[in-house]
Amino acid sequence: MSVGYGAVGWNRQKKRYDFFLVLGIALYLGAFMGAGAWLFPDVTAETLMIRAFGSAALILLHLILLVGPAARLDARFLPLLYNRRHMGVTMFLLALIHGSFSVLQFHAFGDMDPLLSLLTANTQWDSVSGFPFQQLGFVALIIFFLMAATSHDFWLVNLTAPVWKALHLGVYVAYGLVLAHVALGVLQAEQSPRLWLPLAFGFVLVASLHVIAGWRERACDREQPEEMGWVKVCSPQDIPNQRGVVVTVSGERVAVFRDDQRIMAVSNVCQHQNGPLGEGRIIDGMITCPWHGYQYLPENGCSPPPFTEKIPTFQVQIREGSIWVKSLPLPAGTAVEPAVWGGES
Amino acid sequence: MDWLRGLVYAFYAYVLIGWVLGGFLAFRGVNRLDPSAQSGTWGFRLLIWPACAALWPLLMLRYVRGHQQPPIECTAHRQAAGREV
Repeated sequence: MSVGYGAVGWNRQKKRYDFFLVLGIALYLGAFMGAGAWLFPDVTAETLMIRAFGSAALILLHLILLVGPAARLDARFLPLLYNRRHMGVTMFLLALIHGSFSVLQFHAFGDMDPLLSLLTANTQWDSVSGFPFQQLGFVALIIFFLMAATSHDFWLVNLTAPVWKALHLGVYVAYGLVLAHVALGVLQAEQSPRLWLPLAFGFVLVASLHVIAGWRERACDREQPEEMGWVKVCSPQDIPNQRGVVVTVSGERVAVFRDDQRIMAVSNVCQHQNGPLGEGRIIDGMITCPWHGYQYLPENGCSPPPFTEKIPTFQVQIREGSIWVKSLPLPAGTAVEPAVWGGES
Repeated sequence: MDWLRGLVYAFYAYVLIGWVLGGFLAFRGVNRLDPSAQSGTWGFRLLIWPACAALWPLLMLRYVRGHQQPPIECTAHRQAAGREV
């Protein structure tokens, strides 16, 4: 939470995670280049490095894209989601090394400026077999740079989470460009399906997990009908103690929490990275975001001092055994009297 | 071809200006734009420098206009609620 910014928010778990991430990449790169040198002795070291770093970045990009929907479908993947930022920056660095070696090998030693050479060496835009695939990779790399460079809480705060998220959704554009870059580039010469199959499998896996996760969340995003400015949610006993349920009201999800007998509602959108607060828990009396642990007091939607984040709150009633939420949100940080439920917790 | 050459040189100019202004913003300017940055470490400033270099027009605009707080995000609920307390 934002009192003062540090470089990297490492803790013991993140250090362990990063250790295994770097170890896995080092082993992959070593195995790829070792096997490549043995199987294809005529291939130069630069070419092997270009392929090793490029393929490592491609695999990591698939993992990054799979983590989001996998965590929506199964909470056991949430720890990977917490650490996805480091995975993303690492993927950019691998792609940068791949791109830098490629420019050095193919564009740096002529009379022309390397970037100008990259953009003009091949302009067969109407040809499939000779398509200028390197330009596609260059544009994808620029998108990855913007994403990696803004992967700090400072940028989340100063761009605001919706703008930051919109920028980072550029990963899907970059993914499409990378698929085209690989398919129109290295795989053009590939006659056997041994490289095409993993690429197609990766795409189908990423696409299908996104569709399944989106389908499951569809019902949650259906706007609930109002009755005299109030929206019926569920029975208090339907909410496990110190947990929440999510309902869509006023164009956005609302998280309704139960803390013993007290029922409270806040906007579901965490101010940090727009994490889903309703999927979090009440810990030490505070709503705790499942993504990065940002906390808010359920009575007023404010982060505990000295933190300054605050989210909109909602009035809550219990009528005829059901929880009702007022459809009009209150300004962020407004204190609301919790509804008290007489049932057993 | 000439237009592409011009575009590439314009890109280099943007990067060069961004690198200089981005350095100023990362090590000085952000202290005014975001109070939480005032106690930011050197590591933090080095990490935000590349994006300061890329997004320098946005940050410089805020700096020149005298912004002293980060913007508040705009969500459906915040819009419906109308204002902060």
